[in-house]
Amino acid sequence: MAQRAIWLVSHEPGTPRGGTVRFSRRYPTVEKRAKTFNGSSYVPVPEDDPFCKALLFELRLLDDDKDFVESRDSCSRISKASVYGLPTAGKELWPVVAIQKNGLVYVSVPLVEQTLSTRPPLISISGISQAFDLLFGLIDFFDSGPKTEADLSTKVSQLPDLLLYICPFGTLLGTNFLLDNFSNLSINRAPKQPAWKAGTYKGKAHVAVSITEKVKSMQYDKRDVADMWQVYGTITCKCDLEGVMPNVTVSLNLPTNGSPLQDILVHPCVTSLDSAVLTSSSVDMMDDSAFSGPYKFPFTPPLESFHLCYYTSQVPVPPILGFYQLKEEDSQLKISVHLKLHESVKNCFEYCEAHIPFYNRGPITHLEYKVSFGQVEVLREKSLLIWIIGQKFPKSLEINLSGAVNFNTMSHQKQPVDTICIGGTTYVKLYFRIPDYTLTGCYADQHSVQVFASGKPKITTCRELISSDYYIWNSKAPAPVAYRSLFL
Amino acid sequence: MAPRSADAWARVLAALRASPAAFVARAGAEGLAAELLSELRSERQSEPTKGSLLSVIMEFPTQLWPDPTAAEAAVSALLDTLALLPPRPAALRRPLLLAATSVLAACGALAPASAATSRLLPVLLRAASGRATGQEQRALQATACECLRELESCRPGLLAGQLGLLRALQDSRATQAHCLLFVITLRNALRALAQVGPGAPAGLHGLLVARTDRPQGGEIQAWDWSLEAPGAQWPGLWDWTLAGEDIWDPAVPLGQEGDWAEPGPAPLDLPPPEARELRAAVSQLLDLSYLLTPPAQAQMLQQLSQVLRAVRGQPPALLKPQLVRLLGTARVSLLHAVLAAKDTFGEALFTAQDEALLLRRLVGAAQHPALPSPARLFYLHCLLHFPENWPLGPAGEEGTPVLLTPSLATGLLPSLLQDPPDLLARLHLLCLLCGEELSADGSRDCQGTEDRALGYLQRLLASLRQGAAQPGAPRSSVTLCFRASYLATRCLASHPGALAQLTKGLAELYQARPCLAPHFVDLLEQAREVLAEPLGKALQQVAVAGAGGAQALQWHLQILTKVAGAQPLGPTLGFLWAALGQGGDWAWEQALLGTCRALLRGTELSGAGPRDLANLLQELARGLDDPDSRDRGRLYYSLFTHLSGPKLGSALGPTRSTPMLGSSLVEENEGFASALTVQEAQAPLQLRRVSRQAKEPPVILGLTVEASETLYSLELRFRILGPYYEPLKAVQVPCLRPGASPKLLLLPLEPRRPYPALLDISVLYATPSGLTCYAQLPSLPIAFADLFLPLPPSSPQVTHPQTFHELWASCLPGGAESCMWGPWWGQALETLVTKHWEPFVMSATPPTSYQVAIRLPPSSQLLLQLEAAGEDGVRVALRTDDWAILPLAGEYLRGLGATL
Repeated sequence: MAQRAIWLVSHEPGTPRGGTVRFSRRYPTVEKRAKTFNGSSYVPVPEDDPFCKALLFELRLLDDDKDFVESRDSCSRISKASVYGLPTAGKELWPVVAIQKNGLVYVSVPLVEQTLSTRPPLISISGISQAFDLLFGLIDFFDSGPKTEADLSTKVSQLPDLLLYICPFGTLLGTNFLLDNFSNLSINRAPKQPAWKAGTYKGKAHVAVSITEKVKSMQYDKRDVADMWQVYGTITCKCDLEGVMPNVTVSLNLPTNGSPLQDILVHPCVTSLDSAVLTSSSVDMMDDSAFSGPYKFPFTPPLESFHLCYYTSQVPVPPILGFYQLKEEDSQLKISVHLKLHESVKNCFEYCEAHIPFYNRGPITHLEYKVSFGQVEVLREKSLLIWIIGQKFPKSLEINLSGAVNFNTMSHQKQPVDTICIGGTTYVKLYFRIPDYTLTGCYADQHSVQVFASGKPKITTCRELISSDYYIWNSKAPAPVAYRSLFL
Repeated sequence: MAPRSADAWARVLAALRASPAAFVARAGAEGLAAELLSELRSERQSEPTKGSLLSVIMEFPTQLWPDPTAAEAAVSALLDTLALLPPRPAALRRPLLLAATSVLAACGALAPASAATSRLLPVLLRAASGRATGQEQRALQATACECLRELESCRPGLLAGQLGLLRALQDSRATQAHCLLFVITLRNALRALAQVGPGAPAGLHGLLVARTDRPQGGEIQAWDWSLEAPGAQWPGLWDWTLAGEDIWDPAVPLGQEGDWAEPGPAPLDLPPPEARELRAAVSQLLDLSYLLTPPAQAQMLQQLSQVLRAVRGQPPALLKPQLVRLLGTARVSLLHAVLAAKDTFGEALFTAQDEALLLRRLVGAAQHPALPSPARLFYLHCLLHFPENWPLGPAGEEGTPVLLTPSLATGLLPSLLQDPPDLLARLHLLCLLCGEELSADGSRDCQGTEDRALGYLQRLLASLRQGAAQPGAPRSSVTLCFRASYLATRCLASHPGALAQLTKGLAELYQARPCLAPHFVDLLEQAREVLAEPLGKALQQVAVAGAGGAQALQWHLQILTKVAGAQPLGPTLGFLWAALGQGGDWAWEQALLGTCRALLRGTELSGAGPRDLANLLQELARGLDDPDSRDRGRLYYSLFTHLSGPKLGSALGPTRSTPMLGSSLVEENEGFASALTVQEAQAPLQLRRVSRQAKEPPVILGLTVEASETLYSLELRFRILGPYYEPLKAVQVPCLRPGASPKLLLLPLEPRRPYPALLDISVLYATPSGLTCYAQLPSLPIAFADLFLPLPPSSPQVTHPQTFHELWASCLPGGAESCMWGPWWGQALETLVTKHWEPFVMSATPPTSYQVAIRLPPSSQLLLQLEAAGEDGVRVALRTDDWAILPLAGEYLRGLGATL
């Protein structure tokens, strides 16, 4: 249950080597165990340069993917769950867990405590999930705060010291790299203080609970294809409370017509879960008997801000219903978009935009359009129309855009190719945010936070709805279908 | 060498990190290591610089100290440095402990006899058990615990003797570091006890209570920054009896983490009080688990599961309250730990309802949009390896659990908009589900579902093909399409209609983009026959139709090369004739010849095909522009017209890529020249000696020969090294087949002098594929005793005793005599004579006196008189008429003495 080595590789497209190792850490004691456990199938951890090269090649991050290379492109070489095998000195190093995020590749090689002559399933390697925890922790660390080169270098220079606390011998002791004073980590100040809580808070008591819901949708406007939409939410908490282990209970409430929360996953600091919360799952058919709250989460908060829980939900209607028609006539495209805000949805946006991209056609040369509401922005080189709807739908809650677009097909070759939007297959994508609103109706208020600690804390709550992958497909052409009802 | 500045060190360390092996080879490990250690004590270097020196020591100890003795000295030096630190908080203390532990464990210096080990362990234990008050002290304490845990991991059972102390510490301190240290020590101690069996020096109780007096007796020592314990403080604590030799042999899994389903050794039987005590310790740890960080909880849960499994009759129900809590969390490691517990205990911990709940949670997590994609993919993988209570499928293979019904998996369907890894993983699941659905009895109820699933899969594949067919589509989307097609053939195998559609779609893709030929070749290679056959046919049709014009010719040739032999020859030949008319450069000609080569190997020598192929080759030899290509064409023509089919196949070997050398002939030569001449090989033959006693000359050497493959026309050639034997004739064997009874060979030896020798054996043979091979076999010794023959019966009137005495007398004065003492008592002499000299005995008074006469061809004799002298062994008098064999006889007799 340990890691043999960790790397942080930055992907630098366009440079001769394609990337550099920003940080690496090897664990020789774990390596020694690997040698014994793996026996004749042992493959040593390579040096940084050959490793970096093999990794970037495998992840297709080098620029030379013009030719078919069997060791990378063969149809039977299907990597599982971000776990790769890297050729090194005639053998293959496996399992290499590699996750890409924001131009960085986070890599770890977990110890496998058996022979590797036949690869065991990942589920039987306990180091795999530890590698995920470690890499997710590293990603949180590098993703937080500004992302300039200087910030990155500073964080990289902090890593050796951080790892002396979090992973001194390759066995992971914690996942939180974000603490300001990490030297406190996992060292308890008082008996029975959690290892994940570095110290105690001193100051005014304050509890903040925020609910962020995201809505995905695929709308087709076709008789034989069902539209799909899905809501999922994240509850984020920050509790500034005095005491070693203050107890807090957050209850999420639903209004009478709210949509029940499902697939609830909680933070490890939650002490117990109601069985109704645990069993409410999106795979069940919805009916009126479904548990609809209140959803109680008792916990002892860590010092930092954390995600108390994630959930999904099935709402009866999508917030915005759309229709998109695109036809090719002569040398131009005729488009028509119709959007309708559902009457139950709060008509108060922070922003609302419809992006209408055109792929594989070249830059826009000419555009004629008519909108019933809002303005249209044209990004000619990017072949993109942005329909800015603004803060409110009109009283009718329905808006239209129609127009005709011409393209310079000659310079089409220079643009990147899209392999989904071919011919008439294309979409309108909606971007919007509605503050102080959730689609499920889920809310937390002053009364939903109970704190069992000295002093009455200030409680703040907020909520929002954000669009995420909200697609309206051209109904006049085939569209990629995302079934949710195939087997029902 | 002058001391380096901090900057100079930074450069040195950067160079070392970049390429440790090369750097150490250049700089010399010894010097560099000594310099590193001395700089740690230097007053000139700042703490951060020393910290970076220590981090290099932690990471590359095996390069710096390749030998354990040097490593031990290094650990001592590090401990000396630690002792020299001023008695106040210092940032270097922790890294020094970590570095010393890394060096000790990684370089193989951790051993009972090692002085550094017996110094470091008390230092660590003292630091781990002290009463820490300040922040720095707590950090140091946690580090010391981690160091001990690492040593225990590398040498399981090392701390078994300290179990009582560690338990008391875990009780009183209750920190994560103490808990984890205690758990791993407990687990390893139980395993060690199980291995040692009933003969263990102290039972679990003995271990758990031993030496708990110290820390419990009020507050133990106050913190002492020096850490170096006076030697006598922990006298005789280090009992290595339970410590393993390094980590335990992985070949014999002992319920190690990661062995998943492997059962360990027989569970330990503990007396009831000990079992109760163990249960108490485990529940106490489980109660604390909430206070640990998630990865530490996962480790502890897994190790406690192993603890419970190692002991007979321990109910795993203790784990249940924690499992309910962990089941709800979003952490990969925690859910993984729950799955591991499920696998370990099965129904004993998870009822059918629990199992269903766990599966639904897993399905929920695998499709949860709020989780990062790698986590979702991992959960999906876990679903396909779900540890079921009553699995139906074969263990260890991917499959959908029984409870995972299609309706449960609706949220896990693949979609074109997902990232390639997500799409492929979900497609795989869909294929597995489809495979099950489709292979089920096909009742009418599920017909609709079946059709929908198939239809969905086909539409998805069609969209992927459409994406890949786009001119300029990136290679990633092309590989995605081919991987998806490869996966889909699994479930389409029993669906000819769907398979035909897939084949048609792929052929259309090839028609649209012939430059994807390498992917098609790969797919034909990897896919099972069920797809490879029809697809090869369809691709051949597209290729010979010449889609894509002249630029696509090279791709078509690749496809035709691949399908040569499997598909009809006619269309390909037609295409090649047409292509020949177009003309091209050297590379083009080589590609054309490459295809011909593949055709040569795969052609059936019947019908009109061979004649057409020969005509084409002749035309190539005449009509190509490049002389090199013409030569190669001519060569192929000659080979084709002169060699038999199998010989041609093996001569041309596996299809090669287009030659990159200046001349294709040079490269060709490497391939077939050896195939046409005799090849040196490892013989699939085994020769064994069989004993064979000849009554008269010549001496016969018996051999049996066995083959592990079928071989023809064997010629075994024998050569006796040295000048003392007449040459031997070769032996011919027409055929050897594996499994047939061994062939017996009798070799008549004709010594010129009766000396031992070495028989050199080589073999020439033909393989079924037509190759002729030569192999050298291991030499066989001809021993002195192999040459023994009985004396010829001279005349029936003369009795043996008389003859022996005459012979005995006749040896001198021309010959030589000698005396020996043989270490044989009791029946040994009789046994010896029966075993070795039975045919040569001339007279005997068993069991005490024997007279032995041996003839040694060509013309020597050896006479032995053996007299048993009671308890004093046997007196052996020997005479020979040939003084030169006396040392050989002596050696032979001494050899017999040694074997008894």
